[in-house]
Amino acid sequence: MTERPLTDRLDETVDAIVARRDATDALRDPELAPLARIAADLRHYPSPEFKASLRAQLERRASMTAVTTAIRQGFTTVTPYIRVREAGLVDFLAQVFDARETFSGRGSGGGMHREVRVGDSMVIIGEGDAGGGGVMPIRPVAFHVFVNDADATFERAIAAGATPLGEPADRAYGERSGFVADPFGNHWYIATPLGRESVAGALRTVTPVLHVKGAAAYVEFLKRALGAIEEMRHDEGGQLRYARLRIGDGAIELGEGEPMPGSFLLYVGDPDALYQQALAAGATSLMPPTDQPYGRIGGVEDALGNQWFFSRPVTTSS
Amino acid sequence: MTQTTEDDRLLIEAAQADPARFVEIYERYVDRIYAFVRRRTENRAAAEDITSQVFEQALGAIGRFKWRGAPVSAWLFRIASNALADHWRERARDVQVTPPDVPDPGELEDIDRRIALYQHVEQLPELQRQVIQMRFVEEKSIREVATALDRSEGAVKQLQLRALESLRKSMGGHD
Repeated sequence: MTERPLTDRLDETVDAIVARRDATDALRDPELAPLARIAADLRHYPSPEFKASLRAQLERRASMTAVTTAIRQGFTTVTPYIRVREAGLVDFLAQVFDARETFSGRGSGGGMHREVRVGDSMVIIGEGDAGGGGVMPIRPVAFHVFVNDADATFERAIAAGATPLGEPADRAYGERSGFVADPFGNHWYIATPLGRESVAGALRTVTPVLHVKGAAAYVEFLKRALGAIEEMRHDEGGQLRYARLRIGDGAIELGEGEPMPGSFLLYVGDPDALYQQALAAGATSLMPPTDQPYGRIGGVEDALGNQWFFSRPVTTSS
Repeated sequence: MTQTTEDDRLLIEAAQADPARFVEIYERYVDRIYAFVRRRTENRAAAEDITSQVFEQALGAIGRFKWRGAPVSAWLFRIASNALADHWRERARDVQVTPPDVPDPGELEDIDRRIALYQHVEQLPELQRQVIQMRFVEEKSIREVATALDRSEGAVKQLQLRALESLRKSMGGHD
């Protein structure tokens, strides 16, 4: 046996190591043993192609992060924009979530533009038929909102005119939550974290939730279009049930479901670059970037009807 | 403050000021994180997937990272540990999965030894390096490697032997 050439004995050992078969015989062969130990360590040699490709991917995303810095004070990169026909949503949010209006003014389309703080998060509300520059539809959107006491907040929501969609219950994903639709049809998933399984630690008070058809493919689109980073995902039955994506220093959640598209304002350093990137990824132009009194803004709509507006504010203070 | 933690502090500050410099953190730690993850995953694809997640998450969080004097590797190992727990949770929905501990000094030493080995691979003559990559990363048979390199199987076995002997010597083995 040991008369066979070392090249052959080594090759058989390498075959066994790579195939995860028993290669311990090699350790009894004094000539072969030290080489077999090196070979065993080489099984975990990282692929140079993988390392180069991950580096390139990180460089691409880092350049996206670099442009998402011109954010107004108090805002993150991603701010949901809710269009409603009439006033009243701010009062609902104040009553249920202790929200505070930080700004209101007449929008360019004639409707009211309101900015509302809920916990550590901002929500923009456009009121009136003519709001949103004429391109943003009036439609309900969904939010995941963390509170100290999901049951009490759920009750407050019902008292304020919300419709129950799901009574508060302990959920397998680590939170106690109840679901409501506000009087304007927006969904609020009111949650209190139960333990370390909860995603609460990674999220702010309010995070937009997108229900989409074809969620897995949509995540890939958002990575290409917006430089989104997938932080968490759960697939079940061949479908993406839940994903948490970071965009700049903001976040969205999404999953397979009956579509509830939304509109979002992204504060970025270079709206033109992100606009072009989103178009290149397959989005359709809503408005090419132009200078407005409040800053430069452009917008796109993706194939699922979600709208993404890219804005660089005139100043970085609110 | 040790040189390593001082270097780490500078790397973090640079990446926070300019995220494009995050690749310097990546270059410094990718082998270590990959080695940690690879030992705890079923195959190369899973290890690559989780390693990607670790650095993507770290890049996403770099702006919020608060420097507290611990090595950056401790932060990355913690992210890797949670990503590994998520990975195994997805495969065993009903089983309680606890994130693995970050490496102890013994494992760190083992990881560093292997990283040194991988660096020696990069220094091998090109043909030997190609043989190592094809055999161990691409898991090609000797015949497949011989075809790819247009060499005889015997010649490839010789290259494989020379590469491993050279690596053994570089790692302090005796002739």
